[in-house]
Formats: sequence, C-alpha cells, structure tokens
Amino acid sequence: MLNVLNVDLYPSLFLIMLAISLLISVIFLHPKVPLSFVRIHVGFMAIPPLVALVALIFHHERIMVGPWYFSSLSWLLAFFVLTIGCIVQRFCVRYLQGDSAYRKYFALLTVTTTAASATWVSNDFRLLLACWGATLLGLTLLIGLKREWVVARNAAKICGRLFAISWGVLLFAIVWIAQATNHWQLSDALTPTSLAQLDSWEKTCINLLLIVAVVIPAAQWPSHRWLLDSVVAPTPISAVMHAGIVNAGGIILTLFAPLFQGSMAQMILLIFSSISVLIGTGIMLVQVDYKRQLVGSTIAQMSFMLIQCALGAYSAAIMHAVLHGMFKATLFLQSGSVIHRHESGFYTKISLSFSTIVTGSIVGVLAGIGFWLSSPGETYQLVSAFIVGWSVSIAWVQLVAFGLGKMGHVVGFGVLVVGAIVYFFIHHLLYGVLHETVQVNMQPPVLAAIVLILILLGAFLIGAWLTHNRLSKYYAIVYLWLVRLGEPKENVIESHPYYLQSQGGKVR
Amino acid sequence: MTTTLVKEINIEKRFNSVNLNELVETASKVIVPLGPLTKFAARHPWAGIEQQSFEQVARKLKSTSNVEIYPDDSILQSAWNRGEIGQEFLEMKLQQWLDSQSFELPSEVVTQFCQATLMQEKKSIKQLPKTEIKGMARELVNDFHIPTKQVLQTYSQRLQRINGENLTEVLNGQLIKWCKLFLDEAQAVWAMPNRDKGFYYAWKEMAKYDPAMNHLIRRELSHLPNDATQALMDALLGLEISYLEIESYLEAHLLALPGWAGTMLWRSQQSTEQKNIVMEYLAVRICLEYALIKPHLPLPQPKQEEKIELLESLIASWAHWGDMPIKEWLELSPKEAKARLALAYRFDQTVQHRLWLEAWEQTFEDQLQNIISSTRNRVVEFPKSALAQFAFCIDVRSEPFRRQLEDAGPFETFGTAGFFGLPIETSELGSKHSHPSLPVLFKPQIKVKEWSSENDLKPYKQRHQTVGSISYAFKRLKYNLPSSLLLPEISGPWLILQTMARSFVPRSTGDVYRKIRGKWLRKPQAQLSLDRAQASESELPIGFTLEEKVHYVRQALKMMSLTENFSPLVVICGHGSHSTNNPYASALDCGACGGASSGFNARVLATLCNLPVVRKLLELEGIIIPKETVFVAAEHITTLDELQWLYVPKLTAKAKEAFEAIQKVLPKVSEQANAERIPKLPGVGACSHNHKNEAKRLGNDWSEVRPEWGLARNATFIIGNRALTQYCNLDARAFLHNYDWKKDPNGPILANIISGPATVAQWINLQYYASTVAPHYYGSGNKTTQTVTAGIGVMQGNASDLLSGLPWQSVMQSDEEAYHAPLRLLVVIEAPRKYVLRMLDQNPAFLQKIQNGWIRLASIDQEGNWESWS
Repeated sequence: MLNVLNVDLYPSLFLIMLAISLLISVIFLHPKVPLSFVRIHVGFMAIPPLVALVALIFHHERIMVGPWYFSSLSWLLAFFVLTIGCIVQRFCVRYLQGDSAYRKYFALLTVTTTAASATWVSNDFRLLLACWGATLLGLTLLIGLKREWVVARNAAKICGRLFAISWGVLLFAIVWIAQATNHWQLSDALTPTSLAQLDSWEKTCINLLLIVAVVIPAAQWPSHRWLLDSVVAPTPISAVMHAGIVNAGGIILTLFAPLFQGSMAQMILLIFSSISVLIGTGIMLVQVDYKRQLVGSTIAQMSFMLIQCALGAYSAAIMHAVLHGMFKATLFLQSGSVIHRHESGFYTKISLSFSTIVTGSIVGVLAGIGFWLSSPGETYQLVSAFIVGWSVSIAWVQLVAFGLGKMGHVVGFGVLVVGAIVYFFIHHLLYGVLHETVQVNMQPPVLAAIVLILILLGAFLIGAWLTHNRLSKYYAIVYLWLVRLGEPKENVIESHPYYLQSQGGKVR
Repeated sequence: MTTTLVKEINIEKRFNSVNLNELVETASKVIVPLGPLTKFAARHPWAGIEQQSFEQVARKLKSTSNVEIYPDDSILQSAWNRGEIGQEFLEMKLQQWLDSQSFELPSEVVTQFCQATLMQEKKSIKQLPKTEIKGMARELVNDFHIPTKQVLQTYSQRLQRINGENLTEVLNGQLIKWCKLFLDEAQAVWAMPNRDKGFYYAWKEMAKYDPAMNHLIRRELSHLPNDATQALMDALLGLEISYLEIESYLEAHLLALPGWAGTMLWRSQQSTEQKNIVMEYLAVRICLEYALIKPHLPLPQPKQEEKIELLESLIASWAHWGDMPIKEWLELSPKEAKARLALAYRFDQTVQHRLWLEAWEQTFEDQLQNIISSTRNRVVEFPKSALAQFAFCIDVRSEPFRRQLEDAGPFETFGTAGFFGLPIETSELGSKHSHPSLPVLFKPQIKVKEWSSENDLKPYKQRHQTVGSISYAFKRLKYNLPSSLLLPEISGPWLILQTMARSFVPRSTGDVYRKIRGKWLRKPQAQLSLDRAQASESELPIGFTLEEKVHYVRQALKMMSLTENFSPLVVICGHGSHSTNNPYASALDCGACGGASSGFNARVLATLCNLPVVRKLLELEGIIIPKETVFVAAEHITTLDELQWLYVPKLTAKAKEAFEAIQKVLPKVSEQANAERIPKLPGVGACSHNHKNEAKRLGNDWSEVRPEWGLARNATFIIGNRALTQYCNLDARAFLHNYDWKKDPNGPILANIISGPATVAQWINLQYYASTVAPHYYGSGNKTTQTVTAGIGVMQGNASDLLSGLPWQSVMQSDEEAYHAPLRLLVVIEAPRKYVLRMLDQNPAFLQKIQNGWIRLASIDQEGNWESWS
C-alpha cells in the first residue's frame, strides 16, 4: 500500500512532478505545438496536487530534503494552491478559447501556482524569497497579459509596484534575520536559541517589516488599491489571485510565528486589520459591481485571517485561508450566473416577528456559549464563539423560521444541522493536520479579543443606525467614502474597450 | 463662433423649459433604450435615426464619437480572401459611385486612382518623407477649401484635443459611478439615498459630500438649483452653447456613454414618474462638466493644424495610389491641384468601405440567387397529405433543423415569428414575475398565467421556498458583518465540491443538478389561464375573450399560411437555449419573445387551436380544421438541436400514428443537425466525435463562452413558400417566413410580415452587425473581463459604459478572426412586382429603411425573375 512506501519518495516525486509540469507548460508555449496539447497539459497539472494529497494523508513526518522542508502544513498548502491552479486551468481551456495570448495564460498560471506551492515547502530563506518573487511576478504578468488594453497595462503597473515594495521589505527583514542569527535555514533561524540573539528592538523592527510585507499581498488598507484595480484581469485570473495568492500573508506569519508571537507588533496588526475588516465589508455593502463586491469581501476576509494571526490562532488562520480560497474561487468562476432570471419571483418574504427575533437570539447565544465551552482556554475562541453564535442566529431565522409549511421548517432545520456537522468535521480534520506543525506557546491577553468583539459590535450598531437614517448627512458621508475607497482609479477605467476596435487589424 | 455672437443669440432666443424638453427628446433619438440583461432584446442601435442614410450616420458617428460603423480593413480582407467579395461587383459599385460624382479631371486618372486606392495596391513601396509632405501641405493649404463639417464635440472632448487633459474620462467615470449606484437593482445592501426623488435630485444631494471631487468643485455643486431643467439650462448658458447647437451638444453627451444613457431612456419609457430621467441624466452630466471645465474657460480655438494634417493625408494618398511624386504638385495648375485634392478628399475611407460592403452584399445576393434558382426547376412535390406539420420560429437556427426534419419523413414545415402573433405577458406557476413574451416593438395586451389547484400549488411553493431559503440564508450571512467572516468556512467545502464537479465532469454535473432540482420541485401539471378573467383597472386583462381567441388563432394560421390541408398532427415549436454561467443566456433565446423561450407562446397557441369552439367559428370563415387534427406544442432546444414536448393532449388515432413516427425519427434528426452545427464551433482540437455529447457539454460547461453560435452569420430574410427554399442548404443564415401571395390578394399578410417579423429580424441583424463592426462601442466586449453591475447589465474591466450588444465571443471565432459576416439584412419576397410596390407604398417607414440603406430588398416574381430593389 501507499503508506508502506519509503517516506522520502513523496518529496522527490512531488518535486519531479512540479518540474515536469513547468516543462510541459513551457513546451505548450511553442506555436508549433497543437492547441489540443492543452488537454495533456491540464491533465498533468492534476498530478502534483494528487501527490501532495496522498502525502498529506499518509506521510506525517517532517522531513528536510535539501533546501526543502515538508510537513503537514506545507503539504496542505501545496495541495491547496496546486488544486486551485488545476481547477482554474481547466476552466481556462474553454473560457479563454480564441484569446491571442491563450498559450501564455497557461504557462504563466503554471509558473505562478507552482512557484507559490514551492514557496511553502522552502526551508532556505533565499529559495523562499525567489519562489515568492516568482509568484508575484507571474501574477503581475498575468494581470497585464492583455497588453493591447491600456487599463490592463496600468493595473499591472500598479500591482507590480506594490508587489515589489512588499517583496523588497520581506527581503530586508529576512536578510536581517539571517545576518543576526547566522542561519539561512528557516528551521534553524527560528529556534528559540537563534532568536535569542536578536535584541528586542531588532525583533520589533523585523516584526514591523513583516507586517508591511504581508499586508500588501493581503490587500489591507491602505495598500488595497491593487486588488481593486486588478478586476480588469480575466475572471479565472481573479479566481486564482483571490484564492491562492492573497492569503500568503497569513502563511508567512504562521511560518514566522516563533518570532512574531508576543510582540507589540501583534497589536498593531490587530488594529490595522480591524480597520480593514470594516472597510472591506463596507465596500461590499455599497458596491453594485459583482466582482468589486467580491474584492471588498476578500479584503475583509484577509483582514480576519491576519486578526487570527494577531490573536495567535495560526491554525485557525490557515484554515480560514484555505476555506476562503475555495469559497472565493467558486464565486469568481460562477460570476456569470449572478443575473438570475425570475428566481426571486418564487420567494415569499416573511417579515421578522418579535418571537422570531427572540428565538433566533436564544439559539445564537446558546450556540455561542456551547462553542466557547468546547475550548475555553484560548483567546481567539472567544471571538470565534461570538461569530459562530451570531451566524447560527441568522441561519436559524433564514432557514428555519422563514420556511413555508411544516416541510419547509424541517428541511431548513436539516440544512442547518448538516451544515454545522460538516463545519465541525472539516475543522476537526484540518485541526488534526495542523496542530502538530503550527505551535502556539503564548496566548495574547483576553482583552484583545474583547476589544475586537466590541469593535465588531460597534460597527454593527453604527451600520444599523446609519441604514435607519439614510437621509442623514452622516450616511451620505460614510456611504460616499466607502464608494470612493472601493472605486477604481481613473487611469484604470476606459469607457469603452477601445483595444477591441483595432484588434482585428492584426490579420492584415 | 465668437462669444459675443453666442451671447447675442442667447439673448435673442431665450429658451424656456418647454422646448428644452423637446430638444432632449429629439436628441435622445441617437441612442436606443437599453433594458436589463435578463430581458435581452435585440435592438438596433440606430433605430431612431433611420431617416438619415447609413453613410450619413456613419460619418456623424465617426466625427462625434470616433466610431466606425462600416466593416474595417481586416474584416473585409478576410472576406475577400475567402472569396466572399466578387471583384466584378466591387468594380461595378465603384463605377456607380464614379457616375454619381463629377471631377474636373480626366476620367481615366480618376478611375485609376480610385481603383488603386480601393484595392490598396501600393505603387511605390518606399517610405514617404514626412517633412516633404508637411512642406507641401503648407504650400497648398490656402488654395484648398475644405467644406467645414458641422460637428459638435463636448467641451471636455475639445479640451482633450487642445491640451490633452483627459476630462472626458473623468466625467465618464463620475457618470458611470452615479448611474450604477442610482440604477442598482438589489445588488447593494446599502443603497444610494433619495433614489425615489429622481436621478438629478439624488445626485445633487450626494455630490456636495463626494470625496472624489476636490472642495472647489464640491462647493460649486452645492449651489445647484433643485430643478433639473433649470440646472441644465444654467449649465448650457454657462458653457455658452447657442440655441441652435443645443441639440447636437446634447447628442454628443448622450453618445459619450450610450449604454448608461440608454438605460435611462428605457427607464423613462417604463413609468411616468421617471419620464424626464434622460433630461435629469443630461443635467447631471452637463452640470458636472461645467463645474470641471470652469477653470479652463474660455477654451482656445483649435488651430489650422488639423487642416494641414488632412492635406498631408491627401497628398500621401496620391503618392501611394496615384503614383504621383510629391514634387509634382508644384507643377500642377492650381485648378488641377484642387481637383486632385478634392478627389482624394471625397473618395475617403468611408466611401471605400461603403463600396466594399456593398460589393460584399451584392456578392451574397448573387450567390443566394444562384442557390435558389438552381433548385427551382426541381420538381417540388409535397406529399399531398403530410403526416405532420411543424410551425417553427423564423430564427435562422430553425432552418437546418427543418431541413433535416423534412428529409427524415413526410413532414411539412412552416416558418413564422416565434411569438406566433400573441401579444401576451406570461407568468410561470407560482412566480410573481411576468415576462412580456413578444417583440420589443410591441406592448403586451393580455396576460396568460399558469395555474393549478391550490392543493398542488401550495406544496410546490413551499418546495420553492426551501430552495430559495438556502440562497437567501447565504446572502444574509454574507452581508452581515460578523457572520460574513465565518461564511467561507461554512460554505467553502460545499462550494469546492461543486467546483470540482463542474470542472471535471461538466456534462453530467449539469444534468444531475437539473434532475435533482426538478425532482425536488416536482412542478405540478399547470393549466393556462386562457379565459378572460376580470383584473383590476391598472393591470393587463388575464386571458382571451372568445373573439380574441378566434382572432389570434386565425391570424397565426394565416401568417404561417397554414389554412388548409391540415395534417392529423400540427406541432407548434417554440425555441429556447440551455447554457450555464452565461450572463448572455437570454441573447440565445427567442428574439421575438423578448429574450425568453418561445415555448410558452407555442403552448398557448396550440391549446387555443384545439378549442372546439374556436374551430367552429373558424369553420364559418372557411378555415376547416379536421376533427382528427390535433395541435401539440414543443420546444426546439437550440443548444442541443432536440425537440422537447411541452404540451401533448389526448391524440386521435391518426395523430398518434404521426406522433410515433416523429418520435422515431427525432434522434436521427438531432444527430444530423448536430453534425452540421457542432463542427462550426471552435474547439481545441481532438474534441469528441460524439456530437450529441459535445452539444450537451457545451450547454452544461460553466467555462464555456460559446455554448452555440446563436444567430451569428444571419444575412437574409426570405418571405415565400417553403417550396422556394426546400432543397437549398442555406447554412443557418436565413430567416424563413412562409408566405403565399396567392392567398393574400389585398396584401395585409405581407404588410404584417414586413412590419412585424421582418423588423424584428432587421433589429437582430443590425445588432449582430454593430457588435461586429464596433465591438467596443456597440458590442459588449470580451466575456472574460466582464463584470455584472447593478444587477442589470455588464461592464468591462473596472468600470465602463453599460454595454449593450453581443459579446466579442458571440461574433468572433477567435481574437483574430470574425465569425459573423456583417451584412445588412437582405429581405427577399416571393410575390409579383405589384405586391411589393403596394407594400412599399403602404409602408413608408420600410421604404425609408431601404432607401437609406438600413435593410435591403429583393423580390422573386411568379416567373422566377429576381429583382433587386436596393
């Protein structure tokens, strides 16, 4: 059986497969290779994630192979990124049919996702930087691949500039660590003994640098511009970007957790990310473009991931990153289905009665308390319990209370229960994978969690007040600021896609 | 025009609000209403300006909006390469043009120059020295008088031309933002306030707080009057637009974003409360322009540079095509130089493209004539009594299917407009929505609802509610702050399952999903509300009165010229399309039914035809439907080329026999129709040879951008007996409408076909035409970079005009190659000459379309003589 195989086999097999898939994508670039070769290419793209999956299931030991480091965490991340890459490439086979840069899309997508997965199995700092740099470069090129379109070029420039800053800052932080600890291996540099060589001011500075490096790819305010402007990219490119790349911040912080934990920087990150949660959600609420709503949502979700990191819940952050990736990839890929014909015509809206509010609240509070009691020691659990309770309350009202007829209530309740069971099952599964690799030694003060909950509650209340006073000046100001924060810049808008006008000219 | 003069005119002609409204109304003829994408209706973008000729409109659009509406060189070149443009026709068209012009030059010089220009045969390959041309242009500039064009551009456009400052895009960006926020239908949770008080007021209340504008402009905007008309007038006065120029000034502004402006126009036609919304739109736009441009006023006058540039191009074209070195100009007499410049000026790109297009159209007409006449002598013998008769929509996709069906057995087919002449609004069982199921040209007059007993309906509604409540719960969780953070963790695993399935087994996933949904919903057998029921004053009456039933049945049968020799089984076929994840799904449905399947209309008509009381009354008028004849309804699924039964009542013995015969041949018909159609769709090589599976995949694959070709390549509308085209392979390019002139002595049927179905077809044709020749302006751009906005339409990339026509992928084979051939619709009428003359006489609007080049006409008389009327 698979688990009897020599454990060293998986890493080598995995790396070989990655190399082959890169090679195949380069072959496909050649104009003489027939277009039907794309099927072979995409078929092969499924192999590396499968290897990672098998390794994730059967190969629990941590192992170092040259500059690479394989653990459950890195297998999980590699599997996730490559799976998203594979799905997106399969989507592109038909979706981009006829595009003049057809072959380049596949090559660049392969480079981007392969590099991203290689980043998370790197142990050597230099390799990690190189792979991460390649990922960012690949993404920038993908955004600007429609070169004939001026707004795509401009958006790629904006992204490239911000990515370069982020990468440069990361480079600086890493060189600093390596110089101070005399280790270029992640596993050596981040041991308590190595870290002891750093002064506390050095630690603080490096942590601040790390924060700058991670908030840019996570599109946090005030560096959220690039994600908004990159809506010009074709849908599958947005899917891979929102699913597989933006969450790098959470992963980097998880890798550097031994350094990052217990520092003041955590609190700074918490504050900045809380602002971004509010801005991202606000953009989602006021925007009317579907893709732009999704961008707002991604900003908020990534802020939440960083908040989880700031609260020391690294496993939760990784889980959130992975599940959000699945969620957002799907929403982007099916963004053509948003216009539904007559679907709402069948839905009977039921007004919220007092008793529904009361039962909904009670169910929510009970669920929240129950959730908290399952693991009361952790700071983050408090936040988690608050959100779970809140969500259960809404789900109860929508699914159970608003059902029509007996059957409606029963089915709604069934959906709620099944949803909860699957949620817990998945969490249990992922936690099992992650708890060994991601270690948390220090819990941040409970006060941080309480402050966060108060911020969320406060935002909710302010939002509720504003929506009830739509005609007030304050609503207008808040509304317009959120619109402004979510709108693209002038140089990435074109009232008509003029490049199409002259594109046919190539024939002659 | 000098400022003082403008002021004088202003004082002289104090315009008041009444005629400003009129001016807005006249100006808005340059755009067409744009409804939401769910009701995708084929609209022809120049419907309001058909009183101008095609060439006039082309020139106007080129100068105001830089939009070219003749096919460009590359499209023409590839048509030429495929042999679709005959050289003899090109020469003929050139000769016709030359005959209509006069130049003070020897005719062989003129002909030689024009021919070389038209064929783009470069005489000298070497690069022309730029400085030399410029010098020569300066020499000649004072001799040559260029007729000044009456073109009005907006101030922001003018400013951009003068100093490159891109105020137009800033202004457009602002308008896009305000329009989408205002027009939003249910996408945003926090909506723009004051929307019920009109666009202008809502904007005015917000603009003063808008952080996107600097404080000077905000201050400027905070003093605007409450009334939109007043504000528009003030801004026009401020910009010093003279009374005579207002209309074209408003036109230029409407043409800047024709999609958003068109949506406003559509809104203005929907309710009386918003009837002034186009004026409000213009008020917002021009007030904002005024505020932005104020610091730049007065604008400097454009210099002579443009004239020199024009002259340079004229000199260059003589050097290229006339084999005339630049120095030679000095040796010419001023008179000849002038004549030569005038020739190059008049024989410009627009004329050249026009001649090319006309030659292409002429070639097509010639080929069509050959195809039809080649089969004409064949003895067309209809089985005296066909086993079954089918009425199909005129849609071009019906043609190949009909051909295969006729080949497969003793079946007769008819073509008629897919709404079957029923002016109805339809409403599905349990749904609160209703759909106007008729061409956008007409207004619905009767509502037909599906109904069933309360015992069936209630559980059905509950089942629907359960399905809906899951997606509503998803939305609620998504738009609520703390819960939105948890939603990905709850729904992620489910969504990825769906994504995996849709990605790797697209065909079965779609099927399984549809089956499960159908099984769960178990839609009960629904009846149609055909009998008139009282409705409230404001609503449409539900159902038909007896007279109406008879009227519509008679009209439908007469239109399809099926009034005798009824088969035991008559199948009324609507058509619809199945595609996944496609915002343009409704563009593939029936264009005559407002972008929905015409199955509903088919059911209504078939049911009406089976009513004994209707048949009895028809008998009195000579339309005798035999007792054994049964009408059934079916839907032609164009993505799959399958017929699906929608309504099959109890069949008589003979009808049953026919029904079984059809069932037997249908699989083969589908197979052959698919075999003809599927290879035309681009694939990435080595696609499965099982066309049926491929067709299914195309409909179910969520990543498919071309689920079918729709009506691409449509080119002609043939009105005549089926015998005329029976054995012709028309390659899915023809709308076919049955017509027997012998049964129409007074001409009302022909008049009806021309004013209804032919107009629908013309609109569809010009929409495809426009989306191909100006894909960025009249098309809706690349599907891969679209974003759905405000729940009503799509934009490109980050933000753009609300795009109207068809996407790039619907008319293009690939980025490099067009699929649709942009030809103006050729209407062919099989009738004696005097019938055509009478029709033209009675329908001046149609005559105007022909004279101005918006449609083309040919006829075939009783002897089979072909006559071109264009």
